[in-house]
Amino acid sequence: MSAGARGRMSAGARMIRLQRCAACGTAQYPPRAFCHHCLSDRIGWEEADALPGRVLARTSLHHTHEPRFRAHLPITLALVRFDAGPVAVCFLTGTAAPGDAVRVRRNEDDLLEAA
Amino acid sequence: MSARGYEGVVACCPVTEPYVRRSDHGAAWFLAAVLRRLCAAGGLAKAAIDGLCVSSFTLAPDTAVAFTQQVALSPRFLEWLPMGGACGVIALRRAARAVQAGDAEVVACLAGDTANATSFRDLLAGFSSFARDAVYPYGAGGPNASFALIADAYMRATGATRADFGKLAVAQRANAAGNPLALLREPLSLDQYLAARPIAEPLHLYDCVMPCAGADGFLVMAEDRARRLGLPGVRILGAIERHDAFPDDPVQLRGGWAVDRDALWAQAGLAPRDMQVVQTYDDYPVISMLQFEGLGLCAPGAGPSFVRDNDFTIAGTLPHNTGGGQLSQGQAGAAGGYLPVVEALRQVLGQADGRQVADARRALVSGFGMINYDRGLCSAAVVLGRAGV
Ligand SMILES: [Zn+2]
Repeated sequence: MSAGARGRMSAGARMIRLQRCAACGTAQYPPRAFCHHCLSDRIGWEEADALPGRVLARTSLHHTHEPRFRAHLPITLALVRFDAGPVAVCFLTGTAAPGDAVRVRRNEDDLLEAA
Repeated sequence: MSARGYEGVVACCPVTEPYVRRSDHGAAWFLAAVLRRLCAAGGLAKAAIDGLCVSSFTLAPDTAVAFTQQVALSPRFLEWLPMGGACGVIALRRAARAVQAGDAEVVACLAGDTANATSFRDLLAGFSSFARDAVYPYGAGGPNASFALIADAYMRATGATRADFGKLAVAQRANAAGNPLALLREPLSLDQYLAARPIAEPLHLYDCVMPCAGADGFLVMAEDRARRLGLPGVRILGAIERHDAFPDDPVQLRGGWAVDRDALWAQAGLAPRDMQVVQTYDDYPVISMLQFEGLGLCAPGAGPSFVRDNDFTIAGTLPHNTGGGQLSQGQAGAAGGYLPVVEALRQVLGQADGRQVADARRALVSGFGMINYDRGLCSAAVVLGRAGV
């Protein structure tokens, strides 16, 4: 997202957005320009402060390919399935384990964070 | 409708441009080196090659098309196969079909990559649009992060332990001792495996391949052409590929082999027990276990007990990744997808000096590639048999 777009969105900043197809109702992530199920390009967005999901798997990264992450190691990630259906890689804060319910938010870097 | 078989075609002349940890050469240098080796091994003039399959990550911005001009080759059949760990099996399959159809007489199949200080990171950062947007920004763990999540889910679902993964890694290292082409040949014990530092838990150091530079290749041609050239060949008894299988599975605990394995074994007229050698795509041991399950060597979810019940070394009950696999040979980019094919060809041809499995008449080779977002999308497999068996 450009800095300009980020500024224009500041009112709704940090809302988490999930795509939902206006034609067939399928939710999807990562975003794309069409519905993966029915191929319609009538894609809408659902917004919320947080979206519920469940942890499928977790990992702690002890190695990164980018110097900017080195100070933050270990970094805990989770594969989270939103109750709406799609699956996302998220940062995981707190102690949620696979099988646990979490809420996913968008952090200040525009990245997903589950807790 | 069942697919036609691959009668009348053979693969021959497995060659390798030896892997090195890093190189100042570009990917095209490695691919050209393999092409030169194929001409020498086949006793062929370059101009006799009228079909070409190429796979490479670091050849970018070029593709197979640019490579034809770089080496002044004029093929009438050209494939650019960006299927990563499945590209070797798929190249073999496509090349065999081209020969059967008369679209090419002699197909050179090549894969190779270079490696330098920044090439691997550059590759990961832009690996796919989904990875760039929705995985890499999350700590830049690369494939280790994605496969760690799959390994974690697999361990919870099946009861697999780190020692199960370690058994595969340790056996492959033992196999690599007989392979002068392997970059990692010093012995590895299970204790060393278990004590290694974590990379992306549950994955630790010896679960992960070492990126390197190198290239592999082979030739595909009509069986009678190979006979006239005096080249021993290997037949394709069955072959499958599948992409984005099971898109609704929330986490990848199976690949596309499960869709097609019955067709594979029916086409070959054989069963897993008829294989003397098995080569899987071992970017991580957990992925080899998915391939054992997917190809019917054991039931779905039974990977851990299958590993505990077998010995995967050269003289074992199931010689597996007999050259050491990528875990011990190194991962030379797209050549990692060729390595299982080339090693299987060497075994079936009786050319696996120092690590030859006795009476290796038939081999199963599996490929798995391209973790586009949360899972590997390409799966493929081929059953190979010595001509005349
Ligand atoms: Zn739709």
